[in-house]
Parts: sequence; structure tokens; C-alpha cells
Amino acid sequence: MMDFLQFFCSGLLNGLVYALLGLGLVLIFRASEAFNFAVGEFLVVGAFLFYFFYFNWGLPLLIALPLGLGAAGVFGGIVERSVIKPLMGRPHLSMTIITLGLSNILAGGLQATVGSNPYNFSVSLPDLTLDLGPLIFPSTNVWAGILSLAFFTMILLFLYKTRWGLVIQATSESQPKALCFGINAQSVLLLVWAIAAACIGASGIVISNLGALSSQISVVGLRAIPVVLIGGLDSIAGALVGGLIVGIAESLTGAYLEPAGLIGFKEVVPYFVLLIALFIRPYGLLGRVRIERV
Amino acid sequence: MLSVENLRVVYQEVISVLQGVSLKVPDGEITVLLGANGAGKTTLLRTIFGLLPVYDGKIIEGNVFLDGVSLNRFHSSVIVKKYRITYILEERPVFWYLTVDQNLKAAAFSRPNREISGEIARVLKIFPKLGSLMNTKAGFLSGGEQQMLTIGMALMTKPKILLLDEPSLGLAPLIGRELFGIIRNLNRDGLTIFLVEQNAHAALSVAARGYVIEGGRIVLDGTAQELIHNKDVREFYLGVAGGDQQRFRDAKRYKRRKRWL
Repeated sequence: MMDFLQFFCSGLLNGLVYALLGLGLVLIFRASEAFNFAVGEFLVVGAFLFYFFYFNWGLPLLIALPLGLGAAGVFGGIVERSVIKPLMGRPHLSMTIITLGLSNILAGGLQATVGSNPYNFSVSLPDLTLDLGPLIFPSTNVWAGILSLAFFTMILLFLYKTRWGLVIQATSESQPKALCFGINAQSVLLLVWAIAAACIGASGIVISNLGALSSQISVVGLRAIPVVLIGGLDSIAGALVGGLIVGIAESLTGAYLEPAGLIGFKEVVPYFVLLIALFIRPYGLLGRVRIERV
Repeated sequence: MLSVENLRVVYQEVISVLQGVSLKVPDGEITVLLGANGAGKTTLLRTIFGLLPVYDGKIIEGNVFLDGVSLNRFHSSVIVKKYRITYILEERPVFWYLTVDQNLKAAAFSRPNREISGEIARVLKIFPKLGSLMNTKAGFLSGGEQQMLTIGMALMTKPKILLLDEPSLGLAPLIGRELFGIIRNLNRDGLTIFLVEQNAHAALSVAARGYVIEGGRIVLDGTAQELIHNKDVREFYLGVAGGDQQRFRDAKRYKRRKRWL
């Protein structure tokens, strides 16, 4: 029983990281109706930008973190302006496809600039190891959960409590309607991509801190696909729910099914959960059912 | 005064929609534009409002002037904020997933923060019914309530000129009549209104001047009274029989002979 609780809670902490990753994708999907397949590269770029400020320049964490996230945001903005904006008014599918190409280009660029060697990545944070008798949670995992939850909450507060957040919600619903009231839809989209890139970058930092940073961790970005599809592509609460489900499912599978002979099943189980979730609700657990008129 | 001069617009470089439209919307008046489906009414509004690039359209000739300043090159956000023109889409542009309160606040994007609560109070005075619905999602409102909210949202931008695209579309006749009463009141308070309508009778009854657009050209213009008594308008838009042509084909031939098509 205690074992179960241990694995369940570890999964929960990992799930929070996935939720943050999913949130970045959901924000982009709601605003641009495009799925960002370059999420893995966004994650690596965000983490490396932070690495640059924190380890190379040796800035204190409280300065390096906002700087790194800001730089990731600028990166997201540049991507929006150069890749997504020229496709405005075209079918949404073309934006999704172009992110596939973008993903390859960025992966090549990363290979050329930072190579594929792992970089040592251990942010000095106060020790928060939770030792509750039979349950032990390492400090890095606890920090991962706390930081992810903090970023997630900050973005939610921005979206639901500020004026710009309201405008983002409105523009995400319909760009023509927003244009009618003088909302500059293009700058709103720019803002959304910047926030989403910072959000994905933040999860990149957190994930790197669990092990090491290398351009290979972009594969973690693929984990975001089941997360957002389970929760619903356009639902922010869905990203949280999906993230937690995937985190817990992975952790429990690793603990109980893999020793029973299903080696590597941990990587696949999110997709099994996804399959079941889509059978029950094709739009994701919390996704909006789309009513389209022809 | 808003004026359109010899405007020619094409979509996707090939589809010619407006072929030399000229008209004037004098300050403080209600001007109405009548026309059948596909005549170019909505395109004209999009052009005035700077939305053409969104729909892959282009002005190839002519100008839209506001008090002598050409608006051709401006983005809609500039037109709302600086030139105080607001456009109400044909489909009621309320944000379905936001509450009435949030809708009003989102529409006030171009206004400074401190003015918003005052503006909301002003809108609620005009539409008291919205007051009890402030926390309802706009998608749950009835068609009439949504139309009230739409006009309320447009007022939040503090427009001088309001472009209305078929406000009575899909509303019950009684609510439609109420709506035209509201439009008349807004005009009395000093708002210039450019109204595009298919419901010619109601529109001409509130308007001062009117234009008829057919096939991308203005074919008729005059004061509302002149248009109401015009034989062709009576037949084609008011549904008062009187002409000799009884069949669609004859009507078309008649229009062509008069160079309407």
C-alpha cells in the first residue's frame, strides 16, 4: 500500500510538469488553432537559454530565471512573426504542418550549435527532500512539482484576472469578432505565442533539472501530445488533468507492469490511456464539443 | 463625414465585387444601404473598416475618406481607436464563452482602464435588461438579448460612426421593431449610423438617406422618402406589386435594361 502511495505521488509530481508542458500547447491551439509539433525543440531552446544566463554568465537564479523565460518568450514571438503570421487566413492545417518543418529545422540548428552531449544542469535550490517515513520524495522532484504548479498558477492568474488575459480569451474564440472591437488580433497572437514558449521553456528547465540538459530531451515534448489530447486540446483544466493522468499512469506502469516483463511499456502507456479517453470522449475529457455548421 | 469614392475591390486578385461604388454618410444621420445577396454590401463595410486583407481582398481603385483623410491603409484597430468607427458583423459578434460582463470589458479594449466602469453603467442605462444577465455566458442569451449585447459592446468602443450589418437578421419581428427603435434613439443622441439591411421597410422608416446597390454598383440613391415611393424599390425591396413583370426572368431583363445588372 505504501509502495503504491509512493509511486502515485511521484507520478503526481511528474504530472504537474507535463501539465505545464500541455498548457503551452493548449494556449497555442486555442489562439491559432494550430498544434505546435515543435514543442520538443521549444523545450530544449528554453532550457538552453536559461542555461546560458545561469551557468555561463553565473547570474543569480532570481535574475536568470525571468531573463531565461523572457528570452524564451522572445523566441516564441520571433517564431510567430516569421513562421505563423504569414499563414494567417490560410487553413489551420497548414500552420500545424509548418510546425513539423520548424521542428526539424530547430533540431538541426540545436545539433549544430550545442551538439548532442549532455550538459550538467543542477540548479542550486534549498534541499526540500520529503522524508515521511516509508515515503521519500527527492528534492529535485519536489521542486519540479512546486515550480510547475507555480508557473501554471501564474499563467492562469494572468489569463483570468487581467485585461490582456480577457482579450486573449476573446481573440482565441474568434478573430473576426475581436477585430470588430478594435482588438489587434495579431499582437494578441504574438503575446500568446510568447507566453506559450515561456511556459514550455519553463517546463524544459524543470525537466533538465531532474537529470541533465541535452538536445535529446526534446523527445519529452512528444509526451505532451497524449497529455493535451486526453484533456482536450482547447481546455486549460484539461491540460492539468491530462498531465496528472499521464504522470501517474507512467509512474504506476514503471513500478508494477515493467517488472512483470513488459519492458519499455512505460513509454507507451500514455497512448493507451489516450486511446481509452478518446473512445469515451472524442474531444478529450474536458474539451469543448465543436459544433460546425456547413 | 464618411465618404466612399469610386471604390473598386477584388477578392483573391480575380473576383471583382465592388465596381466603382461612391456614396456619402453625412454626420449625425442614418444612411441605409439596400441590396440583394451578393451585391457587395458586406464587402463595402469590410473595406471601410480595414478588414479586406483578412479576407484576401484588395482595393484596386478609389478611396474611403473620413473628413478628407483616406482610411485605405489603416488596420481595423486603428480605425476603431483613432477614427472611432465600429463595425457590427452580420453574425452577432458576442463571445460565446465569456459572460456578458466580460464581453463588455473585452469590447472596451481600445478605451483606457479607468473609463470602463463608467461606460458599462452607460450601456446598462440603455439596455437595462443586460444588468440582470451580467454573469450569464453570452452563448446562453436569446437572439434579441445577444443583439442588445452586441450594440452595447459596440458602444463600449465609444464610436462616432456605427456600421451595422443586417442587425434584424434572424430576429422575431417584434424584437426587430424594438431594435430599430433603439437605433433611432442612438442616432438622436448623436451617433452616425450606416445601416446595411435587407429589411427595406424598417430600414427606410428610420433612415434619412438611402442607396441601392446591385452587382457591385450603386444603382439608385435619394432620401428615404424618395426611395419609399420609387417604383423599382417598391417592387424589388418592399414587395409591393405594381410592375408589369411577373416572372423572375422578366424582372432580371427589366433590371438589365435599366443598367442595374
